[in-house]
Amino acid sequence: MSNTPLKARNVSFSWEDTPLHWVPGDPFTTHTINVLHLLLPAGERWFVHVYKQVLPYIRDERLREDVIGFIGQEAMHSQAHDEVLPHLREQGLDPTPYTAQVDWLFEKLLGDRTLPPGRARKWWLLERVAIIAAIEHYTAFLGNWVLNAEELDRRGADPTMLDLLRWHGAEEVEHRSVAFDLFTHLDGDYRRRARTWATAFGALVFLWQRGARFFMANDPTLVDGKASFKEFYLRGRRGTLPATGDMLRSIPRYLSRAYHPSQEGSTQQALAYLASSPAATAAEKRAA
Amino acid sequence: MPKPLGVAAVAGAALLVRRAMRRRIQASPLWPMPALERPVSGQPRSRALRLLVAGHETVADGVVQLRLEGRDLPRWEPGAHLDLVLPSGLVRQYSLCGDPEDTSSYTVATRLVEDGRGGSREVHEQVWEGMELEVRGPRNRFPLVDAPAHVFVAGGIGITPVLPMLRALGDGAEWRLLYCGRTRASMPFLEEIEKLGKGGGRVTVVAEDESGLPDLDGQLADIPEDAAVYCCGPEELMAAVAERVPRVRLERFAPRLSADGNSAFEVELRRSGRTLTVPADSTVLAAVRAELPDTAYSCAQGFCGTCQQRVLEGEVDHRDELLTDAERADSMLICVSRARSDRLVLDM
Repeated sequence: MSNTPLKARNVSFSWEDTPLHWVPGDPFTTHTINVLHLLLPAGERWFVHVYKQVLPYIRDERLREDVIGFIGQEAMHSQAHDEVLPHLREQGLDPTPYTAQVDWLFEKLLGDRTLPPGRARKWWLLERVAIIAAIEHYTAFLGNWVLNAEELDRRGADPTMLDLLRWHGAEEVEHRSVAFDLFTHLDGDYRRRARTWATAFGALVFLWQRGARFFMANDPTLVDGKASFKEFYLRGRRGTLPATGDMLRSIPRYLSRAYHPSQEGSTQQALAYLASSPAATAAEKRAA
Repeated sequence: MPKPLGVAAVAGAALLVRRAMRRRIQASPLWPMPALERPVSGQPRSRALRLLVAGHETVADGVVQLRLEGRDLPRWEPGAHLDLVLPSGLVRQYSLCGDPEDTSSYTVATRLVEDGRGGSREVHEQVWEGMELEVRGPRNRFPLVDAPAHVFVAGGIGITPVLPMLRALGDGAEWRLLYCGRTRASMPFLEEIEKLGKGGGRVTVVAEDESGLPDLDGQLADIPEDAAVYCCGPEELMAAVAERVPRVRLERFAPRLSADGNSAFEVELRRSGRTLTVPADSTVLAAVRAELPDTAYSCAQGFCGTCQQRVLEGEVDHRDELLTDAERADSMLICVSRARSDRLVLDM
C-alpha cells in the first residue's frame, strides 16, 4: 500500500493544436494508442460505479482512503480522455459508432442488473471487483510503459497528448496496488483471479484490436487503412508501442500466486513525472 | 490447473474463434455488437473556456464593464449569466449584458462592493486588459418568459440581466421598467435604457439623491394579472418587491448573506428518512457522512463528480466545475455545492 495518500488532480488539456496523427507520420501507432480514448471514458466510469457500491464492504480504514483516492483519479481519467473524442470528431474521425458499443458493454452488459438480486448479485459485484483488479494490472503495465517510451519523444509526438498519457500512466502506476488490495481484502480467491484475468485479457485484446481497426478504416486521410498484428509487433520492437514479448511475460506474473502489483513499475518514477507534468502542476496550482 | 497449459488452451480457443469469425470480422471493423442508443462518452460537458479580457472600462461610478473575447462562444438567452473564475480562484456569477448573437465576445458589468465577499474588488483591481480569464456557462436562471406584458424592477447593477431582455422585447412588446439607483452617475447603461424607453414612457428612473426611495406601492399597484414581473437588485429591493408581488421572478447572485458568504441550511435525506443541518462553515458532504459513512466521494473539491446526488426539492447553489446544465437541473455535487433555499431534499 502506498505511503502518500492518493488524491485526484484537477487536470485540463487543450486539444486545439494536436494534429490528427499526433505521432508524426505514423497513423497506426497514433490510432492504436487512440483506442484508449474509446475504452477509458466508459471503462473508468464503470470502475467508479462499481467501487462506489463496494465502499460499504471495506473494513480497513487505510484501504478505504486509498479506494476513495482511486475513485477520484479514475473519474478524472475518464473525463480527460472523454474530452479527446470531440476533437477527433472535429478532425473528421467520428468515434461514436464504436463508443456507443463500448458504452453498452460497460453500462449494460457489465452493469448492476446483469444478474438477479440476492446472492447472485453479490457474486457479480465481487466478480467485477476482480475484473477491475485484472484490468488494473494492464493499466499499470501500460502506464509504466508510456512513462519510459522515449521513442515517442524522439519521433516528435504531440506534447499535450504525451502529457495526458503520462499523467494518466503515472497515476495508474501510483495507484496500481489499490484494485488488487481491494480484491484481496474482499475475496482473494485464486480461481476467481485466474478466471477474471482470462475474461479481462480476452476482452481487452478483442476491444483493442477492434478499436485500432475501426480507426484505421475510418481515418479520413488514409486510403484503405488497415491494422494488423504484424504492424503492432514491429512497432513494439521499435519502441513506439509496447513490445509483444513484454506483454506476454506480464501474463504469468499476474497469475503467479506470489503476485503483488507493488513489484511492477516504480512509484518514485511516477511521482517524479507528476511533479513535472504540465497538466498535473497546473492542477496543483489551481488547488492551492 | 497447470498454468502454461491453461494459457495455451485459452490462446488456442481465441485463435479458433478468430478463424471461425474471420469473414464477419473482415467484412466490417464494427462487426455487430449491441450499442447504447445514446452514447454517454464524448458528449460535450459545460467546459471551462479561457477568454481574453479585451476591454476593461468604467461605464458608471464604481461599475466596470469587461469584454471577454474568444472563438465560437456558445449563444445565450437574455437573462443568462456567466461564471467567472477570478485569478484568486473565487468563482462569481455575472449577468451577460452584451449581444446574445455575438459569438466572439461576452460582456459583463460589475459594481465594486466595498464590504462584499471580495469578488468585485478583484475584478476591479486585479483584472486587466490582455489577461486570460476562465469562464463557465453561460447559464440562464432568469429567462424572459412568454407573457402579454412584462414589468421589470432593477436596482443599480441589477440592470445587467434586464438590458438584453429589453433589447430583445423591442418596441413591439408591452413592457415597463422601474430602474432605481443611488445617483444617476452610478447607474450603468442609463442612456441606452432611456433611449429604449422612448416613445412609450415606459422607463421610470429613480435616483435616490434626486427623488428619494422609489414608490414601490405606486409603481406596482396596477400590474395586469397576466404580466410577468422580474426583479434584480439589492436584497432589500427584491424582498420589498416580493412582498408586494409574490409571483415576481428574482435573480439572486449572492446567497442570502452571512459573514463569509455561506449560511446554514437544512438537508433532508428522503430515502433514509433523516434531516440534518449543514452549518455555514461545513459542507453537505461532511454532514451526510456523519450520518451515512459509506457515502461515496473523492476529490471533495467539485471536479471529480463522485459525490453527485439527486436533488428532489430546493434550489441549489452550484459551486462545482463539472455538471452540465441538464445535470444541474436535478442533481448536485454535495462536496462543494450549497443551498440557495433554506432547505434541500436529496434522494439518498
